[in-house]
Amino acid sequence: MFDRFREVNSTFPRTVQILEHKRQGKLVFGWLCTYVPEEIIHAAGALPIRITGHREETELEDGSAYLHVNNCSFSRSCLQMGLRGEYDFLDGVVGGSTCDGARRLFDLWRHYVKTPFHHVLTIPRKYTPEAHALYYHQVVRFKEHLEQFLGIQLTDEKLHQSIDTFNKARALLKSLYELRKSDNPKITGAETMEVLNASFHMPKELFNEYLKDLLHDLSGSVNTHKGQARLMVTGSVLTNPELIKCIEDQGALVVTDELCTSTRYWSDPVVLDGEVTLLQAISRRYLNNFPCARMFPSDERFNRILGLARDFRVDGVISQIIRYCVPYAHDLPLLTERLKAQGIPTLALDVEYGTSGSGQIQTRVQAFLEMLEAKKR
Amino acid sequence: MKALGIDIGSLTTKVVILDNDGTFSFNITPSGDEAELSAKAAVEESLDRAGLRFGNDSYLVSTGIGAKFVSFTQQQKTITTCLARGVNHLFPSARTAIDVGAESATVLKVNERGRISDWVNHDKCAAGTGVFLQQMAKLMMMPLEEMSKLSFDANPGPDITSTCAVFAESEVISHVHRDPPTPKEEIVTGIYRSVVSRILTLCKRIGIEKEVAVVGGVALNSGLVSILEKEMGLGVLVPDTPQIAAALGAAIIARENIAKGSYR
Amino acid sequence: MINSEVKKNKIDSIIRACGILLRMNKARPDARKSERLYYQMLSNYFTRLLNARDEGKFVAAHTVFFPTEILYAMDIVPMHTETTTWMISLFTGECDDILSAGKELGLASEICTPHRGLAGAFASGVLPRPDVMLWSNLICDNTAKSGELLMEINHCPGFFLDHPFQHSEDEMQYLVGELDDMIHFLEEQSGQKMDWDRLAETVALIDRQIELFREICDLRKATPSPFHSQGFLELLTIDYLFPGQPEAIDYLETLRQELAEKVSVGQGAVSDERFRLMSFFIPPMYLMGFLERISQEFGAVSVTEPFFTYWGEGRLDPGRPLESVAEKSYMIPEMRMYGPLDDRALKSIVGCAEQYKIDGAVYYADIGCRHSCAMVKLFKDILNDIDVPVLTLDCDVVDPTITSEEEMREKLERFFELLEER
Repeated sequence: MFDRFREVNSTFPRTVQILEHKRQGKLVFGWLCTYVPEEIIHAAGALPIRITGHREETELEDGSAYLHVNNCSFSRSCLQMGLRGEYDFLDGVVGGSTCDGARRLFDLWRHYVKTPFHHVLTIPRKYTPEAHALYYHQVVRFKEHLEQFLGIQLTDEKLHQSIDTFNKARALLKSLYELRKSDNPKITGAETMEVLNASFHMPKELFNEYLKDLLHDLSGSVNTHKGQARLMVTGSVLTNPELIKCIEDQGALVVTDELCTSTRYWSDPVVLDGEVTLLQAISRRYLNNFPCARMFPSDERFNRILGLARDFRVDGVISQIIRYCVPYAHDLPLLTERLKAQGIPTLALDVEYGTSGSGQIQTRVQAFLEMLEAKKR
Repeated sequence: MKALGIDIGSLTTKVVILDNDGTFSFNITPSGDEAELSAKAAVEESLDRAGLRFGNDSYLVSTGIGAKFVSFTQQQKTITTCLARGVNHLFPSARTAIDVGAESATVLKVNERGRISDWVNHDKCAAGTGVFLQQMAKLMMMPLEEMSKLSFDANPGPDITSTCAVFAESEVISHVHRDPPTPKEEIVTGIYRSVVSRILTLCKRIGIEKEVAVVGGVALNSGLVSILEKEMGLGVLVPDTPQIAAALGAAIIARENIAKGSYR
Repeated sequence: MINSEVKKNKIDSIIRACGILLRMNKARPDARKSERLYYQMLSNYFTRLLNARDEGKFVAAHTVFFPTEILYAMDIVPMHTETTTWMISLFTGECDDILSAGKELGLASEICTPHRGLAGAFASGVLPRPDVMLWSNLICDNTAKSGELLMEINHCPGFFLDHPFQHSEDEMQYLVGELDDMIHFLEEQSGQKMDWDRLAETVALIDRQIELFREICDLRKATPSPFHSQGFLELLTIDYLFPGQPEAIDYLETLRQELAEKVSVGQGAVSDERFRLMSFFIPPMYLMGFLERISQEFGAVSVTEPFFTYWGEGRLDPGRPLESVAEKSYMIPEMRMYGPLDDRALKSIVGCAEQYKIDGAVYYADIGCRHSCAMVKLFKDILNDIDVPVLTLDCDVVDPTITSEEEMREKLERFFELLEER
C-alpha cells in the first residue's frame, strides 16, 4: 500500500515526476520552512518541492566546510546536496528568515549554488495584527517577484485552484491521522512518515490521488498495529522514517507527531470566508499555522502540542532535537514541564539529522517504555 | 656552508642535511625531554652519519613545537612555511599538501615557488588525527600496521558518523561487541573513512587543487591513504619518508639564506 | 531559580576596576584623554545601575544591539546584560562560576557562552534583578529565545522586540510599530512617560555620533593607522551603552582629535606598521592584553572591523524620532552579520578591504556562535578573490579552555610569516 510513496522517497530528488516535469520544460521551485506559501508557487504553474537533506545520516564534508560543524546537520545536509549538484534541476529557491541555520543556508546557497530565482521572505515572530500585515506584504512581494521572473500574472482563479488542491491534501492527511487515534491503528508512525515525505516531494494532485487510494485501501484493511504505549514524537525536522520505526520496534505506537515535516506542515487549511482576499487568506493561514519554536510566545506552540496529546491519547512524548537546533532546544525545558503537568513524561533524544536510531536510542526508548508501563500499574 | 633543517616535534626530531644538488640525507630520533640537548644530539648524529662535524660551517633552520626551546640555530621558521617548502621540493607540481600528524591535521595551499598561500588546521579534537587512530587500534586490539593491511579489499564498512572522537569510540566498541561482530576489516575501513572525512572537510574549507601531496606520520598508513584517494577521487603524492617534509623545508630555507649571504 | 535581592550583585567590581584603570591612565604621560573619558563614562554607567534600586529608579535589562536611546528618553536606567556580565566576569575572574550557574539552569552547552553566562549571572545574583526584561531577535536565535527564561528567573515582566530580517518599507513600518508597542509597555510598567522632545534630541545626537564614528574610521585608513588594535572595543561599547548621550559625543570628538593629530604627523598605533588587518567578529576577551602585545610585537594593526565599526549609510532625522530609531537599527555595523548576505553586502566587505588597504584578515571563529562561523568560508573566499589571505582562529569569546595564548601566538606567527613571504 505504501510502495508508491516509498518509490518517490527512495528516488528523490530524481523522482519520475520531477524528471518528467523538467523534460516537459516545466519549472520546479524548492522551498524551505513551513512559512513559505506553497500555493503561490503552485498557482504560478511551477512544481513546489520541499528542500530536504540526505535521506540518511551521512558524512557532511562539504556542508561542514561551508556552514561549519557547529551548525545543525539539517542545514549542512541540505547545503551539501545543493553544492554537489543534486538540486541543480531547481529553477528557484524560496526560503524564510526562520532560524539561523536556514538563514545561513540561504546566504551560502545564493552565493555558491546560484539557483536562477532566489527569494527570502521575512517572517515575523509574532501573531499581532501588525505581524500579519507584514507577513501579508511579504507574501505579496514574493508573488510579484515570481510573476516578474516568470513573466506571468497570478489570477484569482489559479490561486483558488491551488488553495483547493492544497486544502484537499491537508484534509486527506487529517483523515490519515484520524486513523491513528484508534486503540490499534491501521497505520504506523513510520508508514505515516513515508506518506508525509512524499507529500512535499511530488505534485500535489498526484499525491492526493495516491493518498485517496491509500485511505480507501486502509478502510478495507483489517491489519492493525498494537503497542504497549501511545507516543508522540516532537522536535526538529525529521524525514527518516527509520528513526520512528526504531522507536516503534521497541514495542510502542507512534500515534502522532509534531514536526516540521508532519503536523506543523499540514495542520491548518486556508480558510476562505469571503471577508478577505485569497492572498490574505493564504498569508493568514501560514502565519497562524501550527507554530515553529521560533515564534513568540512559546505558549502558542505548547498549547497546540497539549491539544494533540489529548486528541491522540498520548502516554508519553519523545522529543528528538537535532544537535545545535537552538529554537527547539530552548523550548524543551518549558515544554517538558507543561507535559508533565498533564501527566505525560518526556524522553529527550539528542540526534543528528537523518539518524536511523542507534543502539543507544533503542536502549533509552526501552527504558522509557518500561517507565511508562510501571506508571500505568 | 652546509644547509640543515631540524623539525623538533613532540614525539620525534627530524634532521635533514641538504646537498647543493638537491639531494638530502635525514635522521629521525625520539625527542628527549630536554629539547636543547636532544636537538643538539640529533644534529650531531646526523652530521656524524654524513661524515661531517658540527661547526661554524653549518646553517641551521629550526621548526616544530620544540623549536622555541632551542638556541643554537641560526633561524626559526613556523612549521607551515617549512612544510610548504619541503613539499614543493619533493613534488614541484603539488599545490595542496595534507599533513596528518599525531595531534593535528593541517592542509596547506602551496604555490609554485614553495610559498604558502593559505592553510587551515584542526587541533581542537582528536577526530582527524594520529592520536585517534592509535586509540582505535587499541580498541581493535591490534597494532596500527596490522590495521592498515586489513583495510584493503574490505567492503565499504559501517558508517562511523560521530563528529566527536569520544562518541566514535563508543560506536566502534558497539561494532566489536555486536552479535555477530562486524568483520574487523569493515570496522577498520569505517574508522579510516571517518578520519578521511574529517580530513576532507578540512580540505574543502580551503579548496582542493591538484596535485595533492600527503605528508606527516599518518601518510605511512597506506590503507588510509588509499581510502583518502578514493573519497577525493584523486590520486595523491606521498614521499618515501613523509615525516621529514618540514625538516626538509627548513633545510631549503637554510640554503636560501646561505645563498643570500645572511649568515654570520 | 529566582534572582533574589538578598544576594549582593557584583556591579561594584566594574566600578572598582574603572577606578584603577583611570588612575593608571592619569599616571601615564602619553595616555589618551579619550581613554580617561571612556573609563569615567563606564564608571558612571555602572554607578547609576548600582544605585538605581536605592534611588527608586526603574531598571530595564536588555540584550545586545538594542535601541537603548528609547530608555534614556524615558529616564529608565538601562542594563546591557551581556556587557555587564562580561565585564564582571573579566574583573572578578569568576567566569567559571557564572558559566556553571548557567549550566545548572539546564541550558544546553550548545547555547553560546555569552547567553549561558548572562542567564547564570541573573540566576546567581551576580546581576541585579531588573524591573523589566527587554529582548530582541538580534542577532541570533539564542537571543530571540532567551527572554522567556530570563523573565522567569527574574520574576519580572518583559517585552520581545521583533526586528524584521530585511529592510523594505513594510518592515520598517512593522519595526516602528514594535517600538511603539514597547514604549507603551514601558510606560505602563514604569509609570514614566516617553519624553518625545528628549528622544528627538537624542536622535540628533546619535546622528552626530554616527558621523563621528565614520570620521574616526576614515582616519584609520591612514598609513600608518593611528588607532591601536583593541581600540575598537571602546567604539562599540560607546554605541551599546551610550547612544545619543552627550558624554559619548565628548569622547568621540576627543578621540577624533587625537587620531587626527597622529595622522597629521604620521604617527601609527604601532611603531613599525608591517601588516594591516581586517578583523571579523570578536577576539577572546581574556586575551585582549595579549593580542595588543602581539600587535605591537609584529607591527600588525587591526584597521577595520566590518561587523563592529563599519557603519551603514544614511542620516537620521530628529523630526521623525521613532522612524529614526528604527532606521538606525539597520545602520549599525552588526547588521552586516544579520544578513541577507547578498551581492551588495559582500561587495561592501570587499570594498572595505580595498579602502583600508588590508594585507590580511583574521576571523575569530567563536565556537559557540553558529551564525558567525557559517560566514567564515564565504568571507575567506571573497577576500581570497582579491588576493587577501584570511586566518581562521578557533576560539571562544569568554571560555579560556577553548584556546590558549600559546596556540594563538603560534597561528598568528604562521600567518604573519605567510604575509611576509608574499
